[in-house]
Amino acid sequence: MQRFTELVVAAVLLAGLYATMAYGLGLIYGVLRVVNLNHGGIIMAGAYIGWLLHEKFGIDPYLSIPVVVAVSFVLGIAIYRGLVRHLPRGPAGAVQSLLLLFGVWLVLRNAAYLLFTGNDQTIRTEYSTRSLAAFGLAVSVNRVAVFGIAVLTLVVLHLFLTRTFTGKAIRAVAQNADSCTLVGVDVERIYSLTFGIGTALAGLAGLLGASLFSFNPSYGSGDLLKSFVIVVLGGLGSVMGTAVAALILALVEVFAILALPAYLTGAVGFVLLVLVLVLRPGGLFGQRVLG
Amino acid sequence: MTVILRAENLSKRFGGLKAVDAVELELNDGEILGVIGPNGAGKTTLFSMIAGSIPPTTGRVLLEGNVISGGSPRRAVRAGVVRTHQIVRPFQNLTVLENVMVGAIYGKARPLGARERALEVLDFCSLRDRAPQLPGGLTLAGRKRLELARALATEPRVLLLDEVIAGVNPAEALHMADLIRSVREKRGLSIILIEHVMPAVMRLSDRVIVLDAGKKIAEGKPQQVVKDSRVIAAYLGESASAAASAQPGPAGSPTPTSGAAPASLPTPPANPTPASIPKKGPGGHQ
Amino acid sequence: MKLLPHWVSRPALVALLAALVVGAVLPKVLGLSVYSQNQVTETFLFVAAALAWNWMGGYLGQVSFGHSAMFGLGGFISARLLLALHLPFWLAWIVGGLVAAAYALVWGHPTLRLRGPYFSIATIGVGEATRLVMTYWEDLTGGSSGLSLPITPGLKSELYWWALALMALVIAASYSLRKSTFGLGLLAIKSDVDAAADVGISPTLMQDIVLLLSGFTVGVCGAFYASYQNFIEPGDMFGFDRSISFVLMAVIGGVGTIIGPALGAVVFVMLRQYLIGSYPQLYLGIYGLLLIVVILFEPLGMMGLFFRIARRFGLMRPEVEATLEAKAAVGGGAADPGARQGGAP
Repeated sequence: MQRFTELVVAAVLLAGLYATMAYGLGLIYGVLRVVNLNHGGIIMAGAYIGWLLHEKFGIDPYLSIPVVVAVSFVLGIAIYRGLVRHLPRGPAGAVQSLLLLFGVWLVLRNAAYLLFTGNDQTIRTEYSTRSLAAFGLAVSVNRVAVFGIAVLTLVVLHLFLTRTFTGKAIRAVAQNADSCTLVGVDVERIYSLTFGIGTALAGLAGLLGASLFSFNPSYGSGDLLKSFVIVVLGGLGSVMGTAVAALILALVEVFAILALPAYLTGAVGFVLLVLVLVLRPGGLFGQRVLG
Repeated sequence: MTVILRAENLSKRFGGLKAVDAVELELNDGEILGVIGPNGAGKTTLFSMIAGSIPPTTGRVLLEGNVISGGSPRRAVRAGVVRTHQIVRPFQNLTVLENVMVGAIYGKARPLGARERALEVLDFCSLRDRAPQLPGGLTLAGRKRLELARALATEPRVLLLDEVIAGVNPAEALHMADLIRSVREKRGLSIILIEHVMPAVMRLSDRVIVLDAGKKIAEGKPQQVVKDSRVIAAYLGESASAAASAQPGPAGSPTPTSGAAPASLPTPPANPTPASIPKKGPGGHQ
Repeated sequence: MKLLPHWVSRPALVALLAALVVGAVLPKVLGLSVYSQNQVTETFLFVAAALAWNWMGGYLGQVSFGHSAMFGLGGFISARLLLALHLPFWLAWIVGGLVAAAYALVWGHPTLRLRGPYFSIATIGVGEATRLVMTYWEDLTGGSSGLSLPITPGLKSELYWWALALMALVIAASYSLRKSTFGLGLLAIKSDVDAAADVGISPTLMQDIVLLLSGFTVGVCGAFYASYQNFIEPGDMFGFDRSISFVLMAVIGGVGTIIGPALGAVVFVMLRQYLIGSYPQLYLGIYGLLLIVVILFEPLGMMGLFFRIARRFGLMRPEVEATLEAKAAVGGGAADPGARQGGAP
């Protein structure tokens, strides 16, 4: 029982991180109909920026959140404006943007490899190993902090999308871009803003992940797939759906450790992905668009 | 007259919504049957079930006594039932001829002589001179004829036409109406026609059924159907007809039904008649 | 008497036969060194693999990032057969190919109902999951230390002609898969799955057939590669880089064209040789840059350039050129990329 509770708590804490990174991917797909195959690249970049700030300037990873978010936001907008925008819309563009963003990911990976070598890195702070004790459970401080920040981010994002004018415009564009153009919404601006927000979330997730796990230039490729599983499972753009789906994936992963040999746990996410895509391509909660 | 196609108790439920509700339908050999109804009445869903692209929740469709529903579109096409789409969907990366050849080859799994058969159908639909072009270069009317040609190439017995007239200019609408008639006269097909352009439905159809909210609410000769009070209510909205019947008119006024009945049914505003929007250029639909 | 189907053009047939003859006498005429001849053999092999990838990625518009799964499986199955049963190598290749094809069908049949990006991401999952499992499945793959195959004297130079034959067969298959009536059905599916189904095509069946053929061919290529290398290990055979290399060859040459991926494979093999020699640190990034540049400026790759030149100098009638280009391009169907075939809304 003790073990069971521990695993559930671990899964819940992990789910916050998963939901953050998945929401970034889902937002971009929901609004632009582009799968950001470079999602993993941005996650990796976020991790390295946090690591660099900590190694070189001794900045605490949680204090470098604004920097990481800003950098990945700008990076996303640059990728959108410089590259993605020039592709045709529709199915042809969908395949082309996939290949293009894949190319960007390869470039980022190579850049990270040149700058930081292929060795595994970790961000180690004095509280890295500290844990909280509550209800007879020991929980890592870091994991609780990551969970808190993730939840806070999702709440803020939800409020932004439902309460502000720009947020409502983003949701409207997701529903029907043509009508938005007719009523005077600058759709191009919304597209680039959305792409930026999506990558900012990826960067944040990368930084948060880096405070929990070790990483190297290929870091993020597993997260891309996990994000995709969650988006497909949770439906597009629904914060609640994303959160529940993230929890499901985290639970499956955590409990798979009990049932499977260690090397196979990495494959669990992929198997779940294929199962979900085949059984529930509309998501557990049906197709919903941002809200 | 012999019944060629029969739908029995056909229903489709999407979650809580009953898109089509226990519809019975018979199509006689050589008949043109019009299906009308307001937007969202379930017309296209009905077509999709007859053409095999979605399975019915209840009921079945029989072509000359053989069940064709609930399988795949291929089963329906092999049996002899084929549909066109309201929003034209030509194969953009194939030439006009190749588009029709796909129908000729795969409709009855007969690759031999497909090219010749496709050319004959293109001739029939006045598209022969467009054969080597890509469909992107056709006008909307041209693409609608291509959609029809591709369906005809599968050599069906029953043709399901989903709004092949709406959206084209009046001259082209007339041309399409003539084409539909000659499909029946010269090729001996039976046709079910969904159409929003009322005058066209009235002129073309031998018989009309009316759907509203998934249910069949009327059936009969076009002239009779337009006078049916339930049909008028469906088109003008419940409130309009309720208001009309609740109105304490002067003594001796005609019954609400006949009094409110317009000479012909109004066309739903979402689907303007060709007359009201005379020009919908070549790129009307994407 | 008609010996050939109507869709076979005589010039194309003559060109293929001529290329075959040139290829066959090339080593003798040029007096190629062992090293160069091996380079050419490897190029032939990857031409075949790239074309087989293109049947999925180009002919159906289903971009796979997981073809290394079949390449690796074909390689290890055939290697095990050679080691354990001492089968003749060509027989081992065929069995390897068949196992790879069966595996492709196992994961592909369900996932092929997905279109576009959904399918592609599923293939990333398939590729990675396969790599993980295979890396630890020591009984089959020998784990991270890999497998060594017995070196048969003279085999390497003999393999040149086998590779040539394999490539010629695959080119002929590529041509047939585009030009035949079956190919017309594939183009229809790529353009609009639902509309294709509505005129009597069974997209599931046809996509499964293409996947089987593609998986088989890539499996045979993997098996060939295993005999040619004498040593294989799962990280290389099943690696993500392997999958990417197929994608890149096709993209560089021209996804969706008949012969583009073959040209792309030639360029890719030379490029990789050069990059690994001169810039081993940079090759991944350069692949990425290539993808970006090609997609941005010439989505049909080298064939796109060729079309451009043909248009400029009037080498081809414009409408012929336009229809060729349209067939290569990903369809313009209205369907949502994530939509399933024939499913309810």
